[in-house]
Amino acid sequence: MSDALSLSNDSRTVPIEVAPAEMAVQICDLNYYFGQGDLRKQVLYDVNLSLPRGQIVIMTGPSGSGKTTLLTLIGALRTLQEGSLQVLQHELVGMNQRELVEVRRNIGFIFQAHNLFESLTASQNVEMAVELMDDRRAKRQRAIAMLTEVGLAERVDYKPKTLSGGQKQRVAIARALVNQPTLILADEPTAALDKKSGRDVVTLMQNLAKEKNCTILMVTHDNRILDMADRIINLVDGRLETDEEIDHFMDNHNPKNLDRHMFMTL
Amino acid sequence: MVGLAVVLQPLTPHPVFPCVLPMRTPLAWFNLTYERRRLLTAIAGVSFAVLLMFMFKGFENALYDSQVQLLKVLNGDIIVVNRLKYTMFIPEQFARRRLYQAQAFEGVEAAYPLYTRDGAYWKNPETKAVRPLRVLAFNPNDPVLNIPEVLAKQEGLKLPWTAIVDEKSRAEVGPRSAGIVTEMAEQQIHVIGTYSMGTDFASANGNVIMSDQNFLRYFSDLGPEETERDLNTVDVGLLKLAPGADANAIAVALRQRLPNDISILTKPEFVAMELNYWRKNTSIGFIFTLLTTMSFVVGIILVYQILYTDVSEHWVEYATLKAIGYSNRYLLTVVMQQSLILAMLGFVPGYLIALVLYDATTNATGLLMNMTLGRALEILIATVSMCLISGAIAVRKVQAADPAEVFGN
Repeated sequence: MSDALSLSNDSRTVPIEVAPAEMAVQICDLNYYFGQGDLRKQVLYDVNLSLPRGQIVIMTGPSGSGKTTLLTLIGALRTLQEGSLQVLQHELVGMNQRELVEVRRNIGFIFQAHNLFESLTASQNVEMAVELMDDRRAKRQRAIAMLTEVGLAERVDYKPKTLSGGQKQRVAIARALVNQPTLILADEPTAALDKKSGRDVVTLMQNLAKEKNCTILMVTHDNRILDMADRIINLVDGRLETDEEIDHFMDNHNPKNLDRHMFMTL
Repeated sequence: MVGLAVVLQPLTPHPVFPCVLPMRTPLAWFNLTYERRRLLTAIAGVSFAVLLMFMFKGFENALYDSQVQLLKVLNGDIIVVNRLKYTMFIPEQFARRRLYQAQAFEGVEAAYPLYTRDGAYWKNPETKAVRPLRVLAFNPNDPVLNIPEVLAKQEGLKLPWTAIVDEKSRAEVGPRSAGIVTEMAEQQIHVIGTYSMGTDFASANGNVIMSDQNFLRYFSDLGPEETERDLNTVDVGLLKLAPGADANAIAVALRQRLPNDISILTKPEFVAMELNYWRKNTSIGFIFTLLTTMSFVVGIILVYQILYTDVSEHWVEYATLKAIGYSNRYLLTVVMQQSLILAMLGFVPGYLIALVLYDATTNATGLLMNMTLGRALEILIATVSMCLISGAIAVRKVQAADPAEVFGN
């Protein structure tokens, strides 16, 4: 058991030699702190990570391990101090707010809560994302097409108040995917969904990854969908503990012997 | 300042033909209006602030407008008054001889004396209560006032002990139609008709018009404690000029040649002098400006409250928009659009209710409360500014929404 969580080089995957330009996300020696001065607390220690295009990666770890922080950093939602973080060929360290906003537009975000506007219909919520790319001409068609793909064709003009929890999450996912981003960051996307919907959604994301060479980084505790990933990363106390290809992970992790710390939920 | 071009999105309609661009989703409108009850409360709040501003400004204007109602109907191009009489309130007269002197000047066609008396006690024919009125008196042959009903009663006014009453006098004066017989200054008086003018501070309860001969009958023989009047001292002198004459030039000439115990003013100058007195020498301007400003501030607070509530409640959604890639500037425009929409939606009911109340006030007090396009625009601008200021303050809350906090536990 402890082997799986140790820092031994066997379990660490070395990415195939590809030209740096092919990497969707490239992180070198990243350290991140909260707070300032005496109250400064370090939350990420020497993180090194490379995510190639088209790879589906699941990030796990106990709560408080910094997974969400790392996700927000990759998502260009925070300003960075030390190290190097390249997302879609943009170096985020040293960027100002305006530049960070530009980078965010190329990333699809899927949150744990749906965060939809109650005052807008499903279609309008998705259209908000389409309008970001200044495509007003076909925005409704694109919104409807995306909603159809997530299985909500009959609900396009319904407000969130009249949708179920799972349906709302699917609208949020449609919103994230409608612009066909090259990087998708997801935080527990299937937590509110039943087995079938959850499966459908990850299948959708998987197809997108394969067709459009889109990278997916997902934080999740849902072991029903582990098999859709290419790679599993484990973050503990701000450090990258393990980073394995899926086959290797499956071999080493008999579900019965899973260390419960890995899937500690809140 | 957020670019106005961003706030005013192109409002092209939803495409029927492919070449017409649909507009951006009006998030501001939807967020403001999707909860009916909350929207109505918001509109009520803004309308109330608008109504307050209308009423206070309205009272201020009414006071000013009312003071010059009489002045505006005086039929003269140049006005002559005692130098001490810088407002109609002051009971100073000048010698009638001055009018004869003025009449000799070139361009002056006629000179009409107007006699006034404040505080003439009028008995209400029904209740027998006594109230002070203002009396205006002149030779009925002189067209002193530009009021048709007055001109119509020329012959009637020549009869002794007769007068016509302003129908806009206050209700306490009692019934005032033709045929009423009552007392004024403890002598009998016959009402032979009415006219329409309006009250002001100098004539608090109402006005009465009579001939100069009747003026003598009532006010020349009053006993030791009252000031008596005769026709040799005039309250207001009106000079009628030949058509096309230059009032300013003639006024200058008169000032140079006539002695200094009188003031000579063109009619616009006379009106301005009266207005100036009420603006500068009384607290009216200060008080009403203060009240209007307070309503303005109340409005700012109300609108800020509404905007703040929207931003707080939808904080997560707005932060999500930021995470997706919307800039701070977009969110600023959403807030500013909401504040402008509130301004418009609140102004209309406020304006309509103000119209009703203006009417009611005019009827109840006799003061002239008037809505003009200019005044409505003034309050509209104030309303819009009020909402923009609240928007600018509420916007800071939206800027603080941290998209990173939408993630996480």
